[in-house]
Amino acid sequence: MNDGILISSVPSLWRRWRNSPYTKHAGFFLGTCIAILFVLVAIIGPFLAPHDPLATDLRNVLQSPSSEYLLGTDRFGRDVASRLLWGARASLFVALTVGSLSLLFGILLGTLAGFIGGWTDRFLLALINILLAFPGFLLALAFVAIRGSTLINVILAVTLAYTPRVAIVMRAVVLSIKPRQFIEASYAVGAPTTTMIWKHVLPNCLPPVIVVATVSAAFAILAEAGLSFLGLGVQPPTPTWGNVITEGRPFLLTHPWISISAGACIAIVVTGLNLLGDGVRDTLDPFLRIQTATKMFK
Amino acid sequence: MARYALERFALVIPTIFGMITIAFFMLRALPGDPATAILGEFATPQALAELRRSLHLDEPLLTQFYHFISGILTGDFGRSAITRQSAISEVMSVIWPSMALAFSSVMVAIAIGVPVGVISAVKQGTWVDYCLIILTISGISFPVFWIGLVAIVLFAHTIPLFPAVGSGVPGNYLSYVHALVLPAIVLGMGGAAYIARLTRSSMLEVLNQDYILVARAMGIRESRVLYLYAMRSALPAIMSVIGVTFAIAIGNSILVEVVFSRPGLGSLIIKATFSRDYQLLQVGLLVLSISVVLVNFFIDLLYPLVDPRLRR
Repeated sequence: MNDGILISSVPSLWRRWRNSPYTKHAGFFLGTCIAILFVLVAIIGPFLAPHDPLATDLRNVLQSPSSEYLLGTDRFGRDVASRLLWGARASLFVALTVGSLSLLFGILLGTLAGFIGGWTDRFLLALINILLAFPGFLLALAFVAIRGSTLINVILAVTLAYTPRVAIVMRAVVLSIKPRQFIEASYAVGAPTTTMIWKHVLPNCLPPVIVVATVSAAFAILAEAGLSFLGLGVQPPTPTWGNVITEGRPFLLTHPWISISAGACIAIVVTGLNLLGDGVRDTLDPFLRIQTATKMFK
Repeated sequence: MARYALERFALVIPTIFGMITIAFFMLRALPGDPATAILGEFATPQALAELRRSLHLDEPLLTQFYHFISGILTGDFGRSAITRQSAISEVMSVIWPSMALAFSSVMVAIAIGVPVGVISAVKQGTWVDYCLIILTISGISFPVFWIGLVAIVLFAHTIPLFPAVGSGVPGNYLSYVHALVLPAIVLGMGGAAYIARLTRSSMLEVLNQDYILVARAMGIRESRVLYLYAMRSALPAIMSVIGVTFAIAIGNSILVEVVFSRPGLGSLIIKATFSRDYQLLQVGLLVLSISVVLVNFFIDLLYPLVDPRLRR
């Protein structure tokens, strides 16, 4: 952490953001555009959808792309384009909730471990390290397998897998900030611990942790798709990008556009979120560049 | 060196114990009755009670945990609820195809990732670098099962180079390798992207150092400077991501095994999930996770070979 990064409150964080080199970073710019487009599509997409995503039409099954059905129809005659537009909602919901839940719990655990120290730190660090030792997707899969395949369980499972990645970065940043003079100064003037964490520790820790949470959100979309593909994610007929791929799988040789278009949606959004995370990270401290790269992606 | 190895090993044991503990409590302490889950909603009360007794479910949680741990220490991992076979022997009977897939995908990842990362670092700021960055970012952004499906369409149907499903003809080793190529490449793509990204950033860091400038000023061949002098310093960082690559490969191998209909631990875990065979699921999960811990332990052992500072 260099002194240039230290910030005292959230509004000044925003000011820094606006005047920062981020906007000049091509990857960051592209990533932001994709993310904004994704959110827009998820919000207004269902209103633009030309057909009901659940309406089956057995006279029009497995149609090729046409002006009526932009991406053709699946084996129940449902419009693939409409299903993808609705599916964006499920993916956005999963990405947002997993991103913010893992941010919340990760910050909580990381701050507790880093700020309190002692046995609390040792216990929490051991717990975090054990959770990190599980491959993330495996942990999520086991959780859903036991709890059942509902949207809430998918979200909880992926959060469980990615919270330790946020927590370990948060702890490292808190530890690097704790011995700084401005923390000592606020001790000296008798600031309550909560004020100290809220006003001095948190704002300085946020940027690197948000990067990790952005990447968790990207992985949440991939993990949801993976679980849906195995039949353990959000159950059909609710459209998600993952189960559109699965439904198109038997027709891959004859009607490849069903699976291909859904996979492309996932890839574009996840690429966008990764570019966004990369762009923020590139302008941050170099030690994080290595640390996030090795600790997060399991 | 022996001391270093022992220190590392001392960290492995509590990690594995912690994983077993988490796997146990995740299964038992969650709401819902496993007996009802296994037998279904219409099971008779007698059948439920009998199953609970045989799984030790009628005892306090800590007693159950004690049974579980002492079972594992004596090599008894419980029985599959469906086939009544020993769970660990069922898992071990399919572990080799899975491990072959995971290890060969890591080899693919290294073989692609390291050169791509080096080229990207050397050509930093040029269009070659940008293309490679975009390639590596999309490498981690495509769902692995989707890459698998597309690979089957392209390289098993359109151009019939490799078999689309299965793991080869039993007894014919050449066919094992032949059937392994496509899944290993598909599974290795994501790992290759990680390795390339990390190789690029650690090479960039090294290439900016004075000794590289000196070596170049002395007129030493560029390939020698890159692969002998710079690579040597970048190697520990690259090695650290190989363990991560293996962990990703293990997680994703479940998806790849399902896509290519390969027998293996992933397929076993999915089968166990759908037949609600939680004992088998638990053991499969543990064996895969412990394999990740052990691989990381062996990578740790290799560090002193590439980083003299650790030799003490």
